[in-house]
Amino acid sequence: MPGAASGTMSTTYTYTSRPRAPPCRLRYSMSQPPDEPLPFGNIMYDRRVVRGNTYALQRGHAIDEHAQKLQETKKRVAAKRRAQEQLRPHTPEPVEGRKHVDVQTELYLEEIADRIIEADMECQTDAFLDKPPTPLFIPAKTGQDVATQIEEGELFDFDLEVKPMLEVLVGKTIEQALLEVMEEEELADLRATQYEYEELRNAELAEVQRLEEQERRHREEKERRKQQQWEVIQKHQETAQKIAARAFSQRYLSDLLPSVFGSLKDGGYFFDPVERDIELGFLPWLMNEVDKTIEHSMVGRTVLDMLIREVVERRLATYERKEDKQPFLSPEEVPGIPAPLRDPTMGYGFQEQRPLPSADVPYDKLMEEEEEEEDPIGLRRSLGRAEQLQDRESWEG
Amino acid sequence: MDATSAPHRIPPEMPQYGETHHIFEMMQNLLEQLLIHQPKDPMLFMIEHLQRNNDHVPKIMILGPPASGKTTIAMWLAKHLKTNLLTVESLLAMGHSELAQEAQQHYARDRSVPSLLLVRLVQERLSDEDCISRGWILDGIPETREQAIMVQTLGISPWHVIALSAPDTVLIERNLGKRIDPQTGEIYHTTFDWPPEADTQNRLVVPEGISEPATVRRLLRHHRNIARVLPSYPGILKVISADQPCVDVFYQALTYVQTNRRSNAPFTPRVLLCGPVGSGKSLQAGLLAQKYGLINVCCGQLLKEAMADKTRQGEAIQPFFKKGLPVPDSLILKVLNLRLSQLDCMQRGWVLHGFPRDLDQAHLLDTTGHKPNRVFFLNVPLDSVMERLTLRRTDPVTGERYHLIYKPPPTMEVQARLRQNPKDTEEQVRFEMDVFYRNSAELEEFYKQAITLNGDQDPYTVFEYIESGITHPLPQKGP
Repeated sequence: MPGAASGTMSTTYTYTSRPRAPPCRLRYSMSQPPDEPLPFGNIMYDRRVVRGNTYALQRGHAIDEHAQKLQETKKRVAAKRRAQEQLRPHTPEPVEGRKHVDVQTELYLEEIADRIIEADMECQTDAFLDKPPTPLFIPAKTGQDVATQIEEGELFDFDLEVKPMLEVLVGKTIEQALLEVMEEEELADLRATQYEYEELRNAELAEVQRLEEQERRHREEKERRKQQQWEVIQKHQETAQKIAARAFSQRYLSDLLPSVFGSLKDGGYFFDPVERDIELGFLPWLMNEVDKTIEHSMVGRTVLDMLIREVVERRLATYERKEDKQPFLSPEEVPGIPAPLRDPTMGYGFQEQRPLPSADVPYDKLMEEEEEEEDPIGLRRSLGRAEQLQDRESWEG
Repeated sequence: MDATSAPHRIPPEMPQYGETHHIFEMMQNLLEQLLIHQPKDPMLFMIEHLQRNNDHVPKIMILGPPASGKTTIAMWLAKHLKTNLLTVESLLAMGHSELAQEAQQHYARDRSVPSLLLVRLVQERLSDEDCISRGWILDGIPETREQAIMVQTLGISPWHVIALSAPDTVLIERNLGKRIDPQTGEIYHTTFDWPPEADTQNRLVVPEGISEPATVRRLLRHHRNIARVLPSYPGILKVISADQPCVDVFYQALTYVQTNRRSNAPFTPRVLLCGPVGSGKSLQAGLLAQKYGLINVCCGQLLKEAMADKTRQGEAIQPFFKKGLPVPDSLILKVLNLRLSQLDCMQRGWVLHGFPRDLDQAHLLDTTGHKPNRVFFLNVPLDSVMERLTLRRTDPVTGERYHLIYKPPPTMEVQARLRQNPKDTEEQVRFEMDVFYRNSAELEEFYKQAITLNGDQDPYTVFEYIESGITHPLPQKGP
């Protein structure tokens, strides 16, 4: 088909065709063979072209317009006849009580029956005979008959006469043949040179291709080698960097461990267990024991003080009783008593030895020599010491 | 010799990275924590520790006798550093722990908490999330050697220990004036720290236990115990006299707390000395180079050496020098970069002086990657500079350099022939000083961690200051 329609999913449907004049199809066009070019018709007189407004609704009409025309004419004729029938004068209608009857008024009466009387008749012509062949037309002979005769060798000498002609003929033929042969040779030559040339060209082409191939391979090889080298260099650099980093960090952190341990030791996390044990276990025990021993001596001293106090009180009482009798004094020994009692910085041993083992004996002697004036002093002093003891205890607490 | 043992060029970024991020201290901390806790899964523990990133939170212990102002200082520090304050009272008030309730019972009974309980309470509190992330200040704990030992054995170690000390008489008197605000718990004083608002004044109550004998008893106890606690913290202890106004004590404490600890990190000093002409930069650089083995890089000298060696850069510099114009920054930078990238500079460290004279040069120096890790500004007043420079003389015959005040020439004959360098005339010196002071403000802003020194003293004093600046770690700026 001359037209081309394109209708895919995405694009809208379009139809294009080259402009052609519409063929004029007459009735007998059906018998025409299809590959003969159709005759053209004038479009102005083509029935298929719509005339008038094309925006009104068109009703489809029957294809066979000739039959339609006949029908229309028939209708018209019928209509005309009907119209004429109405105008033609008719017999008037029958009067009231009468009836019109058709009557045959001809001479001979005809039986009008529904059934038409029929009779079959037949005849037969003779079979056709073939047309006989037309007789030959031979016109009558007219004119006179006259005859002559030429003998051989009378007119001309065939061999002589024929020579130039023959020469020419042969020459021409040979020339023609030569030409043909030359042409053939020339053609062959040409073909040969063409062939050669093609060979050469092919060879050159092959050479060019080979060179191109080579060039391409070289280039690829070069690229590949460059790439390889580049990678190698990169790796090299990276490795060098890694090594440098490793060397650097080794050097940088070489002091790390000693530093860590040093700082942990300074911070007290690492300690000498023996030292710590001594500090936490042994020394407190030691101090405790020392404390206890001092306590002992303190207690001893307090007991001693109490003893002295009691003795002195008793002595005081005795002296008060003896007061009336004989007051006497020996001052030399007397300071001996308060001095050791007063002086707390003297060695323990000295003090312990003196008062405890011989509590009664020397004191009896000393008491006898003591003066009542010194007693209150001694008492005060021992009382003062007791107060000091108390204070110190309270401070310790 | 395989690749690992060949001498390799360590790119300078590595040591700088290690220094800026304190990698050594970080690894040291990590290893310490690992040793203390000994976790079953060390990798996970290390990852968690590194993610917590709490190496720089404050961990402070404040010790001191009663009435020394410990609690006040502790509270001010806690507020300033935004960290948690732990006192015995705050530990007892921990609501959700049974240890705290037990301790409260003890406290109610005999007004003291047994050491073991207290230390376990401290440990519990310190393992709380806020103490881990923001740090802590312990006020008055540990009091005795036993507590100190227990705290140390648990692995709790502070970064800084501050011990306040004052004479007993001062403390006794001060304690008599102590008043407490019952609502906020803040401590005020009748003489030294009186609250400004009238209603606060009316609210104040006299706390118990501030009478003289009570204070004396407490002081005696304190002296007995503290003498054995203080030696437990060598190296991180700082004793501050509490006999000064509160604010002074606070500032001393704050500066101390903000210094980092001396660490054993390998440190190549890269020192930059900035200062006007005549401030003694070359002298100090020479002393430093001699003592510590650093390379003395003097910019002017470097350029002159380049010219003398007739290197490519030297020949480019020569026309500028001939005409007396300043050499363009890019050339100086090239020569400097060449010198500073050499192996001996990288390994031993350098002392640079005379180079960045203004902000652009400082930026350029930064871009080369050679960043100084100590910057010193030597401040010398104009008169001293004039005195130092204008009286310089050179003897043309022997080449000896003299100074008319500090190093006078021995004989009159020598003095007669002394000549002065035209660079040392008064106008030149003034001009150079002006140039320097125009740029110094920007330079000081650029080098934020610079240390300013008084350059007007004798050289060895200045040298000692510089030395202490180099050897001590840079103080960390507060939050």
